[in-house]
Amino acid sequence: MNGLGVILLSQLKRDRWVLTFWLGGIGLLGISVATAITTQFADDAERTAIIQIAAANPAFLFLRGLPDGVSLGAVAFFQGFAFTAVLAGLMSTFLVVRHTRADEEAGRAELLGATPIARSTMLAATLVLGTLANVALVGLLSLAYIGGGLDGGGSVVAAFAVGAVGLVFVGVAALVAQLMPSGRSANGVASALVIGAYLLRGIGDALGTPSDDLLSATPSPISWLSPIGWGQATRPYTEPTLLPLLLSLAVFIVLAGASVAVRSRRDLGSSLVPERSGRASARFGGRSVLGLAWRLQRATVLGWVAGVVVLGAIAGGLGPVVAEAVAENDTLAALIGSLVPGSTADTAEVFIAALLGIGGVLAAAAGVQAMLRLRAEEVEGRAELLLATPVSRARWLGATALVATASVLIVTVALGVATGGVLARSSGDGADVLRYAGAALAHAPAALVFVAIAALAFALVPRVTIALGWGLLVIGLFLGQFGELLQLPGWLQAVSPFFHSSAVPVVEFDVVAAIILLAMTVVGLAVALIALRRRDLTS
Amino acid sequence: MTTAPIITTSALTKRFGRATALDGLDLHVDEGEVHGFLGPNGAGKSTTIRVLLGLIKPSSGTASVFGLDPWADPETIHRDVAYVPGDVSLWPGLTGGEAIDLLASLRGGAEAALRAELIEQFEFDPRKKARTYSKGNRQKVALIAAFARPARLYILDEPSSGLDPVMESVFRQQVQRVRAAGATVLLSSHVLSEVEQLCDRVTIIREGRVVESGSLAELRHLSRTSFRVSGMADAAAVRALPGVHDLVAVGDSVEFEADADAIPAVLAAVAGGGAHAVTAAPASLESLFLRHYSETR
Repeated sequence: MNGLGVILLSQLKRDRWVLTFWLGGIGLLGISVATAITTQFADDAERTAIIQIAAANPAFLFLRGLPDGVSLGAVAFFQGFAFTAVLAGLMSTFLVVRHTRADEEAGRAELLGATPIARSTMLAATLVLGTLANVALVGLLSLAYIGGGLDGGGSVVAAFAVGAVGLVFVGVAALVAQLMPSGRSANGVASALVIGAYLLRGIGDALGTPSDDLLSATPSPISWLSPIGWGQATRPYTEPTLLPLLLSLAVFIVLAGASVAVRSRRDLGSSLVPERSGRASARFGGRSVLGLAWRLQRATVLGWVAGVVVLGAIAGGLGPVVAEAVAENDTLAALIGSLVPGSTADTAEVFIAALLGIGGVLAAAAGVQAMLRLRAEEVEGRAELLLATPVSRARWLGATALVATASVLIVTVALGVATGGVLARSSGDGADVLRYAGAALAHAPAALVFVAIAALAFALVPRVTIALGWGLLVIGLFLGQFGELLQLPGWLQAVSPFFHSSAVPVVEFDVVAAIILLAMTVVGLAVALIALRRRDLTS
Repeated sequence: MTTAPIITTSALTKRFGRATALDGLDLHVDEGEVHGFLGPNGAGKSTTIRVLLGLIKPSSGTASVFGLDPWADPETIHRDVAYVPGDVSLWPGLTGGEAIDLLASLRGGAEAALRAELIEQFEFDPRKKARTYSKGNRQKVALIAAFARPARLYILDEPSSGLDPVMESVFRQQVQRVRAAGATVLLSSHVLSEVEQLCDRVTIIREGRVVESGSLAELRHLSRTSFRVSGMADAAAVRALPGVHDLVAVGDSVEFEADADAIPAVLAAVAGGGAHAVTAAPASLESLFLRHYSETR
């Protein structure tokens, strides 16, 4: 047991900043959601209105979760739980893979494996660390919710609901790490399972039955297939119960036990899914900088495309359902009509336009990811190898910017085509495909601005490239998506490029705004090209 | 041998914040030579190489490769340069073969026969994903990519540090092959036998400055000779001579080192002191390096 303690301590020490960042970030999200609800929606009538709209709208149910009454806590839980739970899941999977498969791959595990500890001790230490991280998360979130002005008992239950999701994914990632051959693939599979849990719960909730007063809803059984659904079933601010979390605990114990059993039986470095061997020589496309940039981004783009196709199918499939639900309810129709500038907009289109807007953010993330890879290439020494050949820095950055731009376009078009394609099946109008592809593309210019921002950060302040690239995207997302909800001043909302995207088809495409955004992108990239030529390559 | 300078730096200085990595470095590498570039860890070898490749900008002083300024015109220089970094990092998702083709293609393309021969000689499996390669195998990727297409200048930064002895000898053959073809090689290395076997001239640097430069013969001349003398009645006569260092008495013998210009006086003192056995050994390259590497500052 002594070995376990020593290893646990070393893992904790290695993780102190990463974990501080994750826990602090999730805690901050908790307190801001709670505060937003208690300050912006202090009025009962307002909360009732927002919950009624949501309950009648499968898309809201899909994205947010199930409404469960109109108390402050219940509304905050409805707004924040699913997303917070996803973050807890990702924190847990990255933590576990970092200390298991990734360490094994990097050879650090071999060093420790040669000391007199059991084969599974490192894994056991990681399981303990993951549990501790989620216990800390429960404590922090309880404080955050209570600090934000929510009911005490309910807040503790809500925090446990989040922590339980995190704990399940500690177990999931521990087992996945035993089966996959590399840290990268283990992270990919484990985080896909987190997203899968969110989507499963989303489908189950969207197919749920709203109560007659539209203040709550019961999920379909599908939600019970997802650990996030179990957390939601604690109903913390209405009828609090920790019983569903016993299911989470049981699943964690089974998965953790299975991972330990696999680890004690397998060789170091071996895996169920083997590493495949590849090509002995490069194809034509693999012999240029552009080919390399695409090769490095390809899997990422495919992942984003898969994500937005699901999103698009939901948008296209649920849009008409939403419109129908609203049409049956006059007060709701009036409410939604008052939310939309210009009364001509049809409800389905409002809903779809909102989802396409989210697609713009996802496209930006895909593009930013391509640009930020340059920094990893530089830090890890591959840029040095590349730039010692006759490849100029301009060509290197240019090729990557091209791939980033292509990523943005591919992701937006994929979303539009998926949305329009599903809509066309119900409407019978094939032109929907083109129309919504165009509508989704309207968000590309704003997304491209973030590609240019990432390039500028890389060229001008390389040491903080990653933080700036993602940080500014999150701020842009926050201002664009929550600026209205938090009633931030207009000029502040206008800072975000997303603010200037046109929500086609609800509003007309703003050509001038799009041209300005594109011009900003071009200027940003040009400045980055020049600046990169003037700085030292760092490592 | 022609003497057109391929690499020259003069008063080359590079500062990173307050730290000075290069402090007035003067390096000359002539065409067609294999030039050893030596120094303890942190002496500034890799920094010099990065300046020569135009990856970082000198704080002051000048550098030139093929008569061009590497910071102003890196791409032109790189057309004729093959580079192997000290710590090779590859794209985890690419196979070794793909990485070789990428790097060689960016320089104009590998010669197919040469590539195949190198892969065979280095006993390299090009089908594996780079993330599974050991340090030695990653180094082989960079070496094969570098040698698979002729270059005018090879810049090799501790290229054999991850290779086993058999692979090291393959590496040496390759260096000798490109030298025979008229190429110039700048070889940073810690492996003394490698330096002794391959290098025409060496430059030793320490703390960003050149402390010694010349052919191996010249450097040996500059270095000390070790003496062991038995039966001498009075060691004090030797001890007092200028240019005699590290004298210790072992039984009835004394051991010491003498500078080259002190040798006539030492021999006279030994002859007059009644010695009955004398051994004198030329400085080994190793002692030369150790002296430069570990000299107290």
